[in-house]
Amino acid sequence: MTETVYVQLLDLTCGALVLAAVLVLWRRDLRAIVRLFAAQGVALAALVAVLGVHAHDAGLVALAAGAGVLRGLLLPLLLRRAMRAGGAGRETEPLVNVAASLVVAALLALLSYAVTRPVVALEPSPATHAAPVAVTVVLIGFFVLVTRRRALSQVVGFLLVDNGITALAFLTTSGVPLAVELGVSLDVLLAVLVLRVLTTRMRAAFGGTDLDDLRELRD
Amino acid sequence: MTGSSAPFVVALAAGLLGAVAGIALPRRVRPLGAGVCTAVSGAAGVVAGVAAFAGHPWSAWLPDVVPLAGTRLAVDGLGGLFIAVTGAVGVCAGVYGIAYCRPHGDHALDGRAVQAVTPLFLASMLLVPAAASVTTFLLAWELMAVASLLLVLAEHRHRTSVREAGLWYAVMTQLGMVVLLGGLVGFAAAAHGESFARLREAGRGLSPGVRAAVFLAVFVGCASKAGIVPLHVWLPRAHPEAPAHVSALMSAAMVNLGVYGIVRVGFDLLGGGPAWWWLLVLAAGAGSALYGILQAAVATDLKRLLAYSTCENMGLVLIGVGAAGLLDRAGARPLAALAMTAALLHLVNHSGFKTLLFLAAGSVVRAAGTGDLDALGGLRTRMPVTTVLFGLGALGASALPLGNGFVSEWLLLQGLVKALGSGGTAVAVTMPLAVAVVALTAGLAVATFVKAFGVGFLARARSEKAERATESPRAMLLGMSLAAACCVVLALGPVSVLPGIARAVRVVVPGPDAVTGPVTLRLHGVASTLSPLWIAVALILVLAVLRVTVMRRARRRARLWDCGMGPTSARMEYTATSFAEPLQRVFDNVLAPETDVDVTPLAESAYLVESVTYRARLGDRIEHRIYRPVIAAAAWFGRVARGLGNGSVHRYLGYGFCAFTGVLIVLAVTR
Amino acid sequence: MTAAGIVGATAQVLLVGAGSPLLVGLMRQVRARMEGRAGPGVWQPWRDLRKLLRKEAIAPDGTGPVFRLAPLVLAGTALVAAAVVPIVTTASPLDGSADLFAVTALLALGTVALALAGLDTATAFGGMGASREVVVLALVEPTILMSVFALSARVGSTDLGAIVTSTLHRPELVVSPVSLLAAVALAVVVIAETGRLPVDNPSTHLELTMIHEAMVLEYAGPDLALVEWASAMRLTVLLGLFANLFAPWGIAGASLVMLPVAVVVFALKVALLGGTLAAGEVFMAKLRMFRVPELLAGSFVMAVLAVAASYFLV
Repeated sequence: MTETVYVQLLDLTCGALVLAAVLVLWRRDLRAIVRLFAAQGVALAALVAVLGVHAHDAGLVALAAGAGVLRGLLLPLLLRRAMRAGGAGRETEPLVNVAASLVVAALLALLSYAVTRPVVALEPSPATHAAPVAVTVVLIGFFVLVTRRRALSQVVGFLLVDNGITALAFLTTSGVPLAVELGVSLDVLLAVLVLRVLTTRMRAAFGGTDLDDLRELRD
Repeated sequence: MTGSSAPFVVALAAGLLGAVAGIALPRRVRPLGAGVCTAVSGAAGVVAGVAAFAGHPWSAWLPDVVPLAGTRLAVDGLGGLFIAVTGAVGVCAGVYGIAYCRPHGDHALDGRAVQAVTPLFLASMLLVPAAASVTTFLLAWELMAVASLLLVLAEHRHRTSVREAGLWYAVMTQLGMVVLLGGLVGFAAAAHGESFARLREAGRGLSPGVRAAVFLAVFVGCASKAGIVPLHVWLPRAHPEAPAHVSALMSAAMVNLGVYGIVRVGFDLLGGGPAWWWLLVLAAGAGSALYGILQAAVATDLKRLLAYSTCENMGLVLIGVGAAGLLDRAGARPLAALAMTAALLHLVNHSGFKTLLFLAAGSVVRAAGTGDLDALGGLRTRMPVTTVLFGLGALGASALPLGNGFVSEWLLLQGLVKALGSGGTAVAVTMPLAVAVVALTAGLAVATFVKAFGVGFLARARSEKAERATESPRAMLLGMSLAAACCVVLALGPVSVLPGIARAVRVVVPGPDAVTGPVTLRLHGVASTLSPLWIAVALILVLAVLRVTVMRRARRRARLWDCGMGPTSARMEYTATSFAEPLQRVFDNVLAPETDVDVTPLAESAYLVESVTYRARLGDRIEHRIYRPVIAAAAWFGRVARGLGNGSVHRYLGYGFCAFTGVLIVLAVTR
Repeated sequence: MTAAGIVGATAQVLLVGAGSPLLVGLMRQVRARMEGRAGPGVWQPWRDLRKLLRKEAIAPDGTGPVFRLAPLVLAGTALVAAAVVPIVTTASPLDGSADLFAVTALLALGTVALALAGLDTATAFGGMGASREVVVLALVEPTILMSVFALSARVGSTDLGAIVTSTLHRPELVVSPVSLLAAVALAVVVIAETGRLPVDNPSTHLELTMIHEAMVLEYAGPDLALVEWASAMRLTVLLGLFANLFAPWGIAGASLVMLPVAVVVFALKVALLGGTLAAGEVFMAKLRMFRVPELLAGSFVMAVLAVAASYFLV
């Protein structure tokens, strides 16, 4: 793989990563959101694979395959099953309307570029140059968590944050120890399972998965 | 005094003469005398300004004019530009005022106060950019504020809303004055001298804290004069109530001086500052531009709309000033000069089209008796000249090609776009946002002025008042035409003012001219060109060709089709409110309109509706959120304080006694 | 100002003037075939124009000079834009007089003229169309300028000729994230500006869903012909601009020999883009008016990301 092809592929996978995050903000259909999340998982796997091939690191490529299976197949599958159990297929009106959230996403992108400047300056390389993209994904994921009402979109928001953190780790440190990555992945899997159980419970208790209903528990 | 100061002296003398004429002449010829003096004063101001930026700066020291401090005057390129612009606005307003102030229906402005104060107001505005010491500057500034306040109150007998507007204006302008006073006096104290030359020497050497405090105070004081959000609240109140030629003077000349203060102190006297100053200026400008144009887009009163448009345009100017400061700081001198040139050119352009628009709006209000767009319409047949002139001004204000606003917004965008690569992260993050703000502002300005022109002047009259409107007298049309001629010259040949602006820019950002070229504008260090003249020529040629080839046959009159529904009535037309409704809905979160719908069902059944009332109110949200609580707190304090005085003389004497002994005790203890 | 430049600019105006109705015909034909209809053939718009031009000119009651002038301004701005934009040559003599900002502002001037004409008719539909059109115009503006910003950042100039030439010299730039993001953003802009699905439906007959059509309801005969022709030209210019910003190959520089080739290549490019657009429209429904800002906000995000990428990813 030549240097230019590497940079192009790297930029493209990063672009797909952030594009998927923006589209999650844009779409209201929960099924589409899950599909986008799956696509982002694949993009993340591709990103790791590109890094691995460039560094001639077989372990990294294997990790990429693992990440692809977990984030591209397994988690979306779980989410889809949760959705089937959860009923309603659309995000109700989010706390911040869609057009405004998209503008906020643009601002978050600029913010993340600004804050990662010092990190990039430490060791300028094509991979670190793409680090702001990962931070953007983290911030957008956080924003989804804050503004969306459905439990399922919240889970997706949480997973976006995780995807972003993973991407950031790979882009800035060129490889995390296998054990750490495995541990994180298991954690995420566990979190999704717990949230799935929570969703099912909420639905049983309130007949819906609008998180604002949880306020009732306080009273 | 040197010889080249003669035109300036003439300008001031004509202003004073106008004031005398306004008091002494009999009522019948009073508007004529005062108006001519105002116009002469303005014309002399233009000559003085042009002479100053054509390379004849001068200064004067008059130790006896003001006791203790004396008066110090100096006109350089920067001051000359503002003097010339103010003078030009004064000419148009003076000529217009000759006919506008004559009695017409129940509207008469030929009273002594208005006639005498108008020329004084112009003279004081000419004096501000010429001031070269803190005392002179503040005196001229205060004279300008008081004169404008008196003029805003001109029609207080006719409408109660005038008094309220006057009160808002008085409070805002005096608070601004207090802050400005504090800043400049502090500056003079720290610099051990009050002449601008002394301040310039000492400005760079002061401690960062003092410099920041001075800059902030001057910025706040000047921003309140320039109508920058959130200090803009007086603008949309004062303008609809002030007479039209006063509105033009205030909105096209006085607000400029706010920008002048910021540029003079920030760049010239303090010699630039850290990035956060300019980021603050830029952010204030961006907020003002966006908020101003949004409010203008949903406003239904013509003069209120124009007032908010002033907030917008001053915001755009401050974006340019802020960008120039940032770039100057980052060492990108040519780009800083470009941004500053764009800002000053936009300021000049804004003065041109805003004079025209306010004067035309005044004609409409005078002829139709209302400035409410929802009640206007169809003026194109009854006031053809005013319609064409307002159209020209609206074209300039909407920043479309063939209009004068276009050239300066183009320059501003070039400056912002090119700045991306120079000046680190702060610039790199700010510039895209600034470009987005300018772009959205430009888009909304188009919507605003399509509404103002299309609803106000085209289509059919929406009320009887508008149907009875008649064309204005000749002097008013002449005043407007002068402004329109300036707009056309600025639109097609911006090169006519660019050398002057370059001199003004050189005062604050030294270096080669940012924009050169006789017909095609070429930028220094930036590979973009634009030639407004060629675009206009090409467009007019094409129009002429199409006109003679495709549209040569005579037209047959026919009924409006209207999808076969007709005949249509004026009640079926779109109004300004309905025109802006989609925008209001899109920007619902920002504007937060209050709407209530009352449905009254029939007595027999809850499902049959007898009537529906729909009420919508769109206030200024900043006023509600920021000013109302402050006013409420002040009122509470006032009520509480009133409890101190119960009418007993003994009690009042007691207060005095307690205070006096208290001071003595403090003295005794501390000494 | 070279001879090739003048010939090229003339060729551009003629090509856009004569070819744009064919493009519209082609797009309608593509739609018709995909929807299982035979379609009237690609020449139908030209036949319609001829028919309309022969009709009598009408002055509807209560309309004024603005109403009569608007079609001329709409067509005039489109023609001037056709002469300025690099369509078949990068050496147009007018290239230096207007850059991408100026071209978009010029096209906006045409839109404004039409919106004023819609208001001038004093009918409810005219006002409605005008109101909606200026909302779309206002919201499109930030995206356009941001995309221009992104594309001009690497060239250091907003001149169209300079941008196109730089892409010719460095073809690898086309697949960079900056280009791709800006392309997506500009595509949405082109769709919104030309009033295609999902922003506006060019073939609707239901007044309440109209944007562009509602403003021109009162036009008939030669006026209508001019409006239709101008809309077709705007579509061609914007599609051509889009094609040449992102795939400029085949465009002629300052040589006369390349001109015929450039004309053919341009026709192919625009036909391909138009066909794709038409095919896409078959599968799309019109967005509700108040969902359009979401679409435009989305394209704005793309444009901002493109700008960010142009600065930070180098």
